[in-house]
Amino acid sequence: MDNKKTDNNISTFLSFRLGKEFFAINANNVLTILELRPITKVPNSPDYMKGVINLRGNVLPVIDMHLKFGMESLKITKDTSIIVLSVSIDNEEVQVGVLVDAVDAVLEIKSKEIEEVPTVGTKYKAEFIKGIFKLSDGFIMLLNIDLVFNTEDILLVENTEK
Amino acid sequence: MEQFREKFKEEANDLISDLEKALLELEEDVHNSDVTQKIFRIMHSLKGGSSMFGFNKMDKFTHHLENVYDLIRNNKLEVDDNILNLTFESVDHLRNLIQEDNDDDTENQEQHELLLQKIKQIIDKEAGAIDNATIQQIDSVAANKQESTYYISFIPNKEIFKFGTNPLYLIDELVDLGEIKVFPRFDKIPDYKITDPTHCYIYWDIFLSTNQGINAISEVFIFAEDQCDLNVHKISESNLLKETSFLGIIEETIKSSNKVDVEQLKDLTKDIESIFTKKTQKKTSKSRNQNIDTSINSIRVSSEKLDNLINWVSELVTIQARLSLYAQEQESADLTSIVEEVEKISRRLRDDVFSIRLIPIETMLTRFYRLARELSGELNKDVVFKTEGTETELDKNIIEVLSDPLMHIVRNSMDHGIEDIEERKKKNKPASATILLKAFYSGTNVVIQVSDDGKGIDPEKIRNHAISKGIISKDVELTDKESIELLFLPGFSTAEKVTNVSGRGVGMDVVKRKISEIRGEVSIDSVIDVGTTITIKLPLTLSIIDGLLVQIGETKFVIPLSSVNKCFEFKQTVLDNAVNNLIRTENEDIVYLDLRDLFEIESLQTDTSQIVVVQYGDTKIGLAVDTIIGQYQAVLKPLGKLYKNQQSISGATILGDGTVALIVDTNQLIMQFANNETKIGG
Repeated sequence: MDNKKTDNNISTFLSFRLGKEFFAINANNVLTILELRPITKVPNSPDYMKGVINLRGNVLPVIDMHLKFGMESLKITKDTSIIVLSVSIDNEEVQVGVLVDAVDAVLEIKSKEIEEVPTVGTKYKAEFIKGIFKLSDGFIMLLNIDLVFNTEDILLVENTEK
Repeated sequence: MEQFREKFKEEANDLISDLEKALLELEEDVHNSDVTQKIFRIMHSLKGGSSMFGFNKMDKFTHHLENVYDLIRNNKLEVDDNILNLTFESVDHLRNLIQEDNDDDTENQEQHELLLQKIKQIIDKEAGAIDNATIQQIDSVAANKQESTYYISFIPNKEIFKFGTNPLYLIDELVDLGEIKVFPRFDKIPDYKITDPTHCYIYWDIFLSTNQGINAISEVFIFAEDQCDLNVHKISESNLLKETSFLGIIEETIKSSNKVDVEQLKDLTKDIESIFTKKTQKKTSKSRNQNIDTSINSIRVSSEKLDNLINWVSELVTIQARLSLYAQEQESADLTSIVEEVEKISRRLRDDVFSIRLIPIETMLTRFYRLARELSGELNKDVVFKTEGTETELDKNIIEVLSDPLMHIVRNSMDHGIEDIEERKKKNKPASATILLKAFYSGTNVVIQVSDDGKGIDPEKIRNHAISKGIISKDVELTDKESIELLFLPGFSTAEKVTNVSGRGVGMDVVKRKISEIRGEVSIDSVIDVGTTITIKLPLTLSIIDGLLVQIGETKFVIPLSSVNKCFEFKQTVLDNAVNNLIRTENEDIVYLDLRDLFEIESLQTDTSQIVVVQYGDTKIGLAVDTIIGQYQAVLKPLGKLYKNQQSISGATILGDGTVALIVDTNQLIMQFANNETKIGG
């Protein structure tokens, strides 16, 4: 996606928490947010593929973002939620649920407020992060969500850094 | 207009397929006049449609083609191979023409000119015959002496525009036939406030004097017949339009009433001329009635509507499962009986709706006949393509996916399987080889077999080829059947020389992949010098299956009922003590797989286990699960792209309580296990 349009373009993002870190997804990709419900694990699939749930009569795959991001498996709390996303995988619109620790806020961010990803010092492969939005007490990583789902890799962590 | 063109394209494709089929019939019996009539009719419809929708090239082309068959149906020309080949080529060309959006395609253009020339040659060659024909025609005209006058009442249906028919074009065509008086009638046009501009309110009273006969008139309306109320009456054996007194009479009649009373009109003209023979009238009305009958027997529905219908039925089945569960919890006898009733109805509804989408496999076979016909010539082989059980029905979507792989199989058979004529003679085989396509039902599956009586597949050759391509290593030991199955591996093409018939890089692996996409299986059996049989086993429909609902740990699974053979209960200790996973059932020992191990799920139950015995090829294999819940109609939902590597689970279904159950693909599961076993063993 081309982000270098006019500086005052406002995009809406949904932020969520994974462990101690905050991420955000463009709201255009977000279909709905669900409370945690029983997930049917599909046998013999990668660990980060949590299983499937029933979303209005259709079967929706759910992904544990903790494992996908190389963190420890998510611990279920009352804040645990499933964000239902529409992403494009191999040029095909696919719906997928992602399991997050908590949904945080809806943010309106101007293009000029999005900062470039520093080439050093981040844990995550730069290509999956579109940019960084600074808050007074920290920052939020804006995810390039299509890319995240177009890789079968479990980890986003750069191999060279530990 | 564009949407009409699309509609016509669709229709034209059907017509072209019909044409192709009729041609194959004609080839069987070149003197069958019914078939030539049929061919002529189809060409005529194509011509009419294409001219109306601006497919000018196609219009001209079919016009010439039609002339050839006109000669044939009038016994002025004999059908020979030349004509048949030319018509087959023309059929292909028509297919291209219909897809052509503009006339710029040069490659098509060349073919177009070439074919046109050939067609003209045929007609010219029969010039003598044509001269005769014209003489005959003149004779017959002379016999009829003079022109006849017809009264035509043409009342288009309101909806006629929706079919893309322009009534004025039809009238234009009538004008070409002779002298004409046209009286448009406007009395049915409603107040402009409620006029629907897409409707046709005008109708026509037409008087036509022509020497071309009543058939020429009906032919004008041949493809508008269903969209109008048409009455053609011969009112005189002479050209009444030349009589001013008659013109006066008809103008009077038109003015005085909205409806022309044919009888009255005839009475009026009685003095001038004799009445037309009742016989022909009866004949035309009879044939029209037949047309009406066939149009009611079947209707054209877009497959999108059918897909919607199926989605709704699937939803209904899902809801019904919820209702059943609720009724069980309520323990109310009244509710239960209603629920049972609903269940019965929804099951029948499901079956009926699914049957709508079933079409006989016959519909896709025409091209195989053609393929066999054409390749026989090309490869210098004499091959007869035979079919059995072509009335066997399959889901439309399955048929669509199936036709390419089948085509490939037949091609392979013709190219690699069947020997050329000399070689067959040496082997004391009949010179003419046979490829048999056989379809039949087997439980809830449809089996399609393609067998040839060719040279068969040499497993040794396959094995060596696989080794040379590095697909298997030298020291692997395979049975002959396993060797032959190597054909299905990617990157395997045995053709020693690449012909344009097969060996285009796509091999049997593509066939296998395509067929497993529609949950089918394919296998090969072959005996050297006797022949090869390829068997494809397919599910009847794609979206709802009858299954056995079972539970392992907290997860529920559906095992397709079609593969379930029997169920047994076992003490867990028996299973634990089983040697080599062999257990004794009623009267035989069977191997069992513990699904709890394979799926890595903790069992909740410890003392007893259920064994579901499923059929896998010729053998039975037991699957150990915690509990069997019961029979269940499962609406198949795909697991989606993210689970594309998942083989032993073919999909999921939503249960009555809203949770998801997984559908087990027993064949894939067992195959996977068998592979693991051999890996562990070797």
